Amino acid sequence: MKKYLAKRIAFSVFSLLVVVLTVMVLVYSLIERSVIFQTDDTWNKRSNNDRTYYEYSQYQKYGYVDMSNFTSFLAQKYADVPNYTEDPSFKADRAVIQDPAKYEKNASVKEFIEKYTADGYEIQYLKPILFQNGSPKPGGSGYLLAVRERSMLARLGDYLKGLVTVETVNDVQDPTITERYVRWEKDPYSGFYARVGMGTNHKYQLYFDSRFPFIHQNKFHLNLGVSYTRFRGQQIVSVINQPRGNMKVTSQQFPAKLGTDEYADTAIDFHSLTWNYSELTADEKLNYPDKYTVATFRHGGLSMLENSFVIGLIATVLAYILGLLLGILVARRKDSWIDKLGMGAIIFFMAVPSLAYIFLFAAAGTRLFGLPYKFATAKVMALAYILPTISLAIPQTLSLMKWMRRYMIDQMNSDYVKFARAEGLSEQEIFRQHISRNAAIPIVHGIPASVLGCLTGAIITERVYAVPGVGSLLTNAINSHDNGIIIACTVFYTSLSVISLILGDLLMAKVDPRISFEEKAGR
Amino acid sequence: MNEERKDMLSADELFSFIDSDTIESEKIIAPRYSYWRSVFRVFFKKKSNWFLLGLFALLLICSFVIPLICPYDPNENVTKAATFNLSPAKAMAYFSGDGHPLKWILGTGSQGNSIFYGIWASARTSLMLAMICAAINMTVGIIAGALWGYSKRVDQFMLVVYNIIANVPYILLITVLVYVIGSGFWSFVFALTVTGWISIAYFFRTQVMIIRDREYSLASRCLGTPTLRIVNKNILPFLTSVIVTLLATELPSYIGMEVFLSYIGVGLSANVASLGRMIQEAQTSFITFPWAFWSPVAIASLISIILYVLGQNLADASDPRTHM
Repeated sequence: MKKYLAKRIAFSVFSLLVVVLTVMVLVYSLIERSVIFQTDDTWNKRSNNDRTYYEYSQYQKYGYVDMSNFTSFLAQKYADVPNYTEDPSFKADRAVIQDPAKYEKNASVKEFIEKYTADGYEIQYLKPILFQNGSPKPGGSGYLLAVRERSMLARLGDYLKGLVTVETVNDVQDPTITERYVRWEKDPYSGFYARVGMGTNHKYQLYFDSRFPFIHQNKFHLNLGVSYTRFRGQQIVSVINQPRGNMKVTSQQFPAKLGTDEYADTAIDFHSLTWNYSELTADEKLNYPDKYTVATFRHGGLSMLENSFVIGLIATVLAYILGLLLGILVARRKDSWIDKLGMGAIIFFMAVPSLAYIFLFAAAGTRLFGLPYKFATAKVMALAYILPTISLAIPQTLSLMKWMRRYMIDQMNSDYVKFARAEGLSEQEIFRQHISRNAAIPIVHGIPASVLGCLTGAIITERVYAVPGVGSLLTNAINSHDNGIIIACTVFYTSLSVISLILGDLLMAKVDPRISFEEKAGR
Repeated sequence: MNEERKDMLSADELFSFIDSDTIESEKIIAPRYSYWRSVFRVFFKKKSNWFLLGLFALLLICSFVIPLICPYDPNENVTKAATFNLSPAKAMAYFSGDGHPLKWILGTGSQGNSIFYGIWASARTSLMLAMICAAINMTVGIIAGALWGYSKRVDQFMLVVYNIIANVPYILLITVLVYVIGSGFWSFVFALTVTGWISIAYFFRTQVMIIRDREYSLASRCLGTPTLRIVNKNILPFLTSVIVTLLATELPSYIGMEVFLSYIGVGLSANVASLGRMIQEAQTSFITFPWAFWSPVAIASLISIILYVLGQNLADASDPRTHM
């Protein structure tokens, strides 16, 4: 079993790599890279050489190229000279690129060109763009750059290297820390115990609170990359995890005020404290005992991921309960009116484009029951969840019902059922003890996929009801040419599907003792 | 009276010997059976199939003939703001003088375009897309699946390929492909078919494997039947109903896929009339201008349901066990 599992996981990781590399090649080589500037204000404001330089620096930021410029090269070269920015030869070197006539003769320039050409860089000299009178046009000052294209494999390597980061006690580089540790401490904000670190980036490594899923950790961080255009420069993981809505202000005590009777109305989430590298303000010194002072705020709403997950999970649970019960019901009353009704509904949902019936639900829900149609316009937030949940649950219910009916009928005709009947078992017993159990085995296989699938969100449902969820992430990214999110979605979706397939197989083997993944001898 | 006389006749008078005929003795008398004739006999015995077939023929004629006679131009009234989003009654009143009463029977869209002409031009695109994609995917899928199921060496290689591709969500693959290669009609076909065949091939592989190892196939092989004949006579006839069932689910799925992709904004380009695009343009105001939204939705649903039900019934009819 272990051997099989190891093999299976290894292959899954391999296929994940192949998929990510393929998508990277597709997206990075076939999509014009300049599309990321289409909605970029900074790019619009800049002109001439400044704009070209900005383009290269953005390409470097998003991993398309390696780039170095002459000024930073000089800064390295003169690093030993104290106060080098005032050094006359540094100033002369730096100014030489503004003069195309002289620049090639300069020793530092020659050194720069030699060094980077040897490393396979291409030298780009952006000549100063001048007015008639010799003064530079806006953004027209000269640049000397060395640019090198990054290979796809190097990009994949970098991406994978940064995928998961682990916090250790040596993360914070600060000489003021005398003792570095991670230990269990009583957590004044939850009343439980928490793993508290000193020297780690986050103060709370593991803690409990009242927010789903109640236990949280800050030790492992998933880094799926940064968004290019849609959430310019933000980490994608924090985009989908960032709670939305109004700030939730409660009466809390600052860490240094614990034990006193000083309370403050604040929305700060003290479990999210991270190390502050800059000088503490007087206020911060009063309120915090250490330099863990940077925190995020609590919000009343859910994050994108939570929105999708809540809707998806409720729908899935409903669908499994209703779908299995209805499947058993129609299988027992095969060819009755209720069976025909069910089959008709199944044909309708199989054949009609999903868009059509979701809008049908939206129209029916708003007209007949007065439920809020768009998420944003809902006055009572809980009501806004009803229509999306129903829209997700009904097709899923019917599909489960269809399979359950099929498996039940297959089982009903099998020999062991006839035998059980001959033995004198009641129909009730046969159905409950034998048929339902055997029929449910293939259904069980799909449970992990359905549950984990909730994390990817529902594309159409979320769009129709304007749910701020993750379902629209990929499609919006495609519409705004956000290659970062596209890659992140590929990794996220593909890993989820790989994991749910493995979990499904394991679960099925658990439920059905006849299924074994051992390689049998003698075959 | 007669019976009495018969009793009196001797055995010689009642029976006469005939010579054995070697040619006749080789013939096996069985009712004449033609597979496809039986399929259609069973299929057309159901009255609802006649109705559905008639409806489908009507849809086909409408969507392929109407756009030929009356070409759809989404921008014909783009300069006349008074024609935007007119209800059917208002549109017919507004254009009462232009001699095409049918054209405005479903009202106008957000650019003053005729919804009636629009849905037929779009239905043609959807039908063509569904048929071309299904033809490519089914042909490639069945041939590849048959090979895959029959040869153990191909199986080992293809399983690795399949396991990699099956891990990628289909939606992700198609959206990324359409995003990357553009949104013309043929690049759309390419995106839907480049990996679409593999799941059909995998499904088919399993079916071929099951039948390949059945006793009667084994017996044929022992008797020295050539492989091609086994495939043609033993395996493929068994899979006809499977193929038709598959077709019945495949065809509507491409229509649904086009609608879905257009809705999320990676559909066909603006110069190709498509149901998905019409739905997508009308969806923001589907409560205020319902005719512009529900007309294309109704046509897409109608085509899908008809194709699905017809296909399922044909699949039932193509199962030889129903021919008794």
